Amino acid sequence: MKLTLEKLRKTFPLDEGELVAIENIDLEVESGEFVCLLGPSGCGKTTVLRIIAGLDTPTAGSICLEGKSISGSGSDRGMVFQEFALFPWRTVRKNVEFGMELKRVPKEERHRISQKYIDLVGLDGFENAHPYELSGGMKQRVGIARALANEPEVLLMDEPFGALDAQTRNLMQKELLRIWQETKKTVIFVTHSVDEACFLADRIVIMSARPSTVSEIYEIRWPRPRDRASVEFANLRKQILAKLERMVRIEDDGTQR
Amino acid sequence: MDVKGSGKKKERASIFSQWPFNKFGNEEKWQQLFKTLVITIISLVAFLITWWGLSELADTDYLPDPETVFRSFIDTFQIRDPLTGRNMWDNIMASLTRVMWGFALAFATAVPLGLAMGFSKNADDFSKPVVEVFRPIPPIAWAPIMILALGVLLGPIVLVFIGVFFPLLSNVIFGVRSIDPILSDAARTLGAKRSHLFLKVILPSTIPYIMTGIRIGLGIGWMCIVAAEFIAATGGGVGQYIVFKAEVGRYDQVYAGLVVIAILGLLTTELSGYIERRVSKRMGML
Ligand SMILES: Nc1ncnc2c1ncn2[C@@H]1O[C@H](COP(=O)(O)OP(=O)(O)OP(=O)(O)O)[C@@H](O)[C@H]1O
Ligand SMILES: [Mg+2]
Repeated sequence: MKLTLEKLRKTFPLDEGELVAIENIDLEVESGEFVCLLGPSGCGKTTVLRIIAGLDTPTAGSICLEGKSISGSGSDRGMVFQEFALFPWRTVRKNVEFGMELKRVPKEERHRISQKYIDLVGLDGFENAHPYELSGGMKQRVGIARALANEPEVLLMDEPFGALDAQTRNLMQKELLRIWQETKKTVIFVTHSVDEACFLADRIVIMSARPSTVSEIYEIRWPRPRDRASVEFANLRKQILAKLERMVRIEDDGTQR
Repeated sequence: MDVKGSGKKKERASIFSQWPFNKFGNEEKWQQLFKTLVITIISLVAFLITWWGLSELADTDYLPDPETVFRSFIDTFQIRDPLTGRNMWDNIMASLTRVMWGFALAFATAVPLGLAMGFSKNADDFSKPVVEVFRPIPPIAWAPIMILALGVLLGPIVLVFIGVFFPLLSNVIFGVRSIDPILSDAARTLGAKRSHLFLKVILPSTIPYIMTGIRIGLGIGWMCIVAAEFIAATGGGVGQYIVFKAEVGRYDQVYAGLVVIAILGLLTTELSGYIERRVSKRMGML
């Protein structure tokens, strides 16, 4: 589904005055596109995802899905949370089946689908474990399986692979691309890793430091799977890293806003 | 937790690789447990000796020695009272029945009200002023009027109800408020509506808090029933037993009654505490 963010603005009330988290963001995401959001810590990436998910309301501006303005949450937009947000009293399987339970999917089908996604994220054998028995990386994989099993049109992912080791991370990136190519979902993916963004994205959207706007957009047309060792990959990485570094320095000096 | 399959096997292997360390930890645990046991026994023995010494020194009917009390304690379970025709079991059952009725009433009202007050601001605003006015009144202060107004049957039950109601209510409200909002967020992105949130997020995550409320409430319930039975004296009950025995000057039996109350109170709290821990663990909320 095509997603449009129009003149998005978000402020949070403070004791005195307000915090402008997002100054103004305009963005169009094509149906089936894979977009990575990159930006300094605290620039409002999570806030943008939460607004798209309908968990927060924008102070101004609007979100449109297929041209229709949306407000409130819905199962058409799934989210993978930076903090996992698993239900601690539910087992891995029960966490993954949560959305299907709400939709009253029959038990056997629920079981089949949840097994598919549990296998996919490599958690087979842990179906009956509770979240407290899992490591951070495993919890995050449950979160991913849970979002995917609900089959949303738009998948919002907030640093989903941040807690994974490098090896699992590369594996999950490939798996995510495979799922994305199979299902043609629209994906908005927040990451701190330039390498990850270059590997995954159709477009990389760089957000400026708070109060944030879209600072720059890189379009990547290379075919997948991409070769991290290629010269063009390395060049793009360097270019984006330099850009981010400049941004942070500007913020440190406080000379420019 | 029974987890089958390859992934868990890997985990197990890593635990076994730390086996000597693991064993050491276990040994330490047993040692600690043994030490606790020894200290507990010393403490109880010291208590009994002090009691015995005091009763020898005081040499009064008001403080019989431990042995006399112990004998009376055993006797009360075996010998029926010639006046009332009841033994201690009958009295315990009478008290227990009242506590359970009062508790059931409190549970049936405090849990739904607490959930509503925690979930909806309107319900909270509506109920809070009344609740806050009644909460600070010690339940026992209601005893005289409740027993006059409601009689010896219903009066004590209502007292237990009052005693259990408020701690349970506070815990349920606290439980609902303690829910990490991100869990509701996650549920919403999975398509949850308000009613789903209530049934699938708020209710389950409040259960451990409800259990805590039950444990505290039952403890207070016991205190209330004994006090109520002091005033309302028909139909048996441990509190009533104590009053009767004090009136006829059988102080050894009064103390036996106190021991019964102590044991029952301890059993209730321990049992509900055990259930509380089991439930929390099963629900993954340690
Ligand atoms: N509910 C809130 N109330 C007040 N301030 C908030 C709230 N949520 C976020 N903020 C502030 O808004 C800004 C953006 O937060 P956000 O979490 O979106 O950043 P982020 O880009 O996701 O950061 P990170 O990279 O560390 O995850 C931060 O300064 C944060 O402190
Ligand atoms: Mg964030």
